[in-house]
Formats: sequence, structure tokens, C-alpha cells
Amino acid sequence: MSLGSRLPWRRWNAALHRDIGFLAVGLTLVYAISGLAVNHMAHWNPNYRRVVKIHEIGALNKELPEAQLAAETLARLGVEAKPRAAFQPDQDTLEIYMKEGKYAVDLPTGKVLYEANLPRPVLMAMNRLHLNAPKKAWTWIADLYALSLIALALTGLFILKGPKGIKGRGAWLTALGCAIPTGYWVWWAYLR
Amino acid sequence: MNLFRLFPVVLCAVMVLKAADAQHYGQPMTLKEETKISEILANPEKFKGKKVRVRGVVTDVCVERGCYLNLKGDKKFQELMFKVDDGVIVFPASVLGAEAITEGVVSLQVFSEKEQKEMCPIEAKALNRKFDPAKIKGPMKVIRLDGTGADVKS
Repeated sequence: MSLGSRLPWRRWNAALHRDIGFLAVGLTLVYAISGLAVNHMAHWNPNYRRVVKIHEIGALNKELPEAQLAAETLARLGVEAKPRAAFQPDQDTLEIYMKEGKYAVDLPTGKVLYEANLPRPVLMAMNRLHLNAPKKAWTWIADLYALSLIALALTGLFILKGPKGIKGRGAWLTALGCAIPTGYWVWWAYLR
Repeated sequence: MNLFRLFPVVLCAVMVLKAADAQHYGQPMTLKEETKISEILANPEKFKGKKVRVRGVVTDVCVERGCYLNLKGDKKFQELMFKVDDGVIVFPASVLGAEAITEGVVSLQVFSEKEQKEMCPIEAKALNRKFDPAKIKGPMKVIRLDGTGADVKS
């Protein structure tokens, strides 16, 4: 008895669908969760959490050198950490860069805006993988994953026999699933 | 010490060593000689289309897409934008305040008063700023580096 006759194509198909499905679970979660996150970039930053604090420290003499202004600002704020650098984008503003975030000082009024963008570590990692930031080997892994999704879609069509399979209800649902992107594109590109 | 206990120790050591280095982004650096930002800003026509190597503290970074850095100039109040194609290089927000050595091609765009009056209200709306057309006087030069690669010190 040949292997083909012992394992008919439908069982091969189901086995492939099952095993590729198991392999794809991790990557599917990464791409799906990140997909939800980056799909709404207009409304929120999926990589960073923005922290803002406002302080008042009194006016500073803008004629002082940049480094002295930075030291005076940090002293008035009670910050002991050493700054990375400082910069005056204009006569009235001083920016002090810390390991996390920056202080922007309005020198004439002494108003200070602290702003930091703190990473969302897990989501950021997923987003970076989703957008192929690592490049190199990840490009191949992502390509293999895309091919495995195609295989899952095609093998999935033939899992069930009968009225709920591709010759029955499955055909209608598959057609509906294909019509959604096609119809939306036709409306968006040509009709609206 | 078994492998499971050794792994975090090795991982931490690698991360510390990695953090001490300069992080490289994009294509390898090719130029040795550095150009001052003040020289580029003073005479952009001379540098337009030329590849330069520039050093400066990062004064701003795109936190949405990591697609640009602003670099502090060597003279007061001066900055130069280092722009990269979206997704080709992605700078993390943590580079803010770090020293960067960058390479890119100098780009110079000149916008007429008419172009500014068309463009600026859109930008002002997007950035939630006030737009005063009376402040537009004469053509505006936009100078930036179209970036190819960068080394950013931690």
C-alpha cells in the first residue's frame, strides 16, 4: 500500500492546515496585535507613552551661557541627574536633554515643560517586527509567514466536506470575504 | 551554575556592552571629513546635492515614525534636519540628546511667498498653531540632509 492511498489528499490537507496553524500562532498574534496598534496611529502613538509635566521656576537671565542656564534650571527643579546636552533653539527658549525626556524652559517666564516619550516595550517590539525594522533574516521569516498564511487560507477551504464545505455554505462565505476588499476598493478608488 | 541561570547574566552583559557602543543606522559611513552645520546653513547653494558628514547633538526626533532627527549646530540657535525615508531607518526616541555623526546629501528647497501662503495654513492646522500670512516675507529656504547613515552614541 502506497503512502498516498493510506493518507488521502484531504487528510494531508487537514494535517498541513493543522501543523502550519500551530506554527503560525505566535507570529499571527504578533502581526494581529501590532496591526491593531499601528492601524490607529492617527489617534495614539503605539510605540511610546507621552509623559508631560509643567513646572514654574521663575525667570532666568537669558544672557547667561547655555551650560550655566541648564545647571541653574536643574538646580531650581531639584534634579540631580546629569543632563545629556542642552540647546537654545531661540533667545527665549532652553532645552535640556536628560536620559529620559527633555525640559523645555521659557526663560523670560520660567515656565518649564517636561516631556518624555517612554517606550511601550512589548508593543514596540511587536510593531518593530511587524514593520520589518530588523530587516536581514527577519525579511525571510516574514516572507515564510506570509506564505504560510496563503497555505492556511487555501488548505482551510478544503477541510470540510458536504453542505458546510466549499461546495455549500463555505462558497458563499468565501465569496463574501473576497467581495469585502474588492467592493471597498472599487468604491474608494472609483465611486466616492 | 546551570544554563538557565547563566543566560540572563550573559544577556545583561551583552546589553551593557552593546549600550556602551555607538549604534549604527542605515548604510555604512563613507566620508572621513566632517562639515560644520554652520557652513552648510551659511552657504546651502554650495553644498546642494553634495554628500556630507555632519556631527551634532540630537535636539528632536520623530516619535511617530522615527523618520528624522534635528541636529544642533556649532553656532547658537542653529539646527539641521536629518531626514530618512520612512521605514528605511527608524530612530528610537531615546536618541534625543545623544551625539550623532550622520551622512547625507544636502537638499535645498526654495518656497515662494505664494507657495508658503498655500502650504503654511495646512501645516499650521496640522500642528495646531496660528498662521499669520503677514509674517510671510520673501522666499523661504528649507535646508536639510537626506540621510543615508548615522552613528548615534549612547
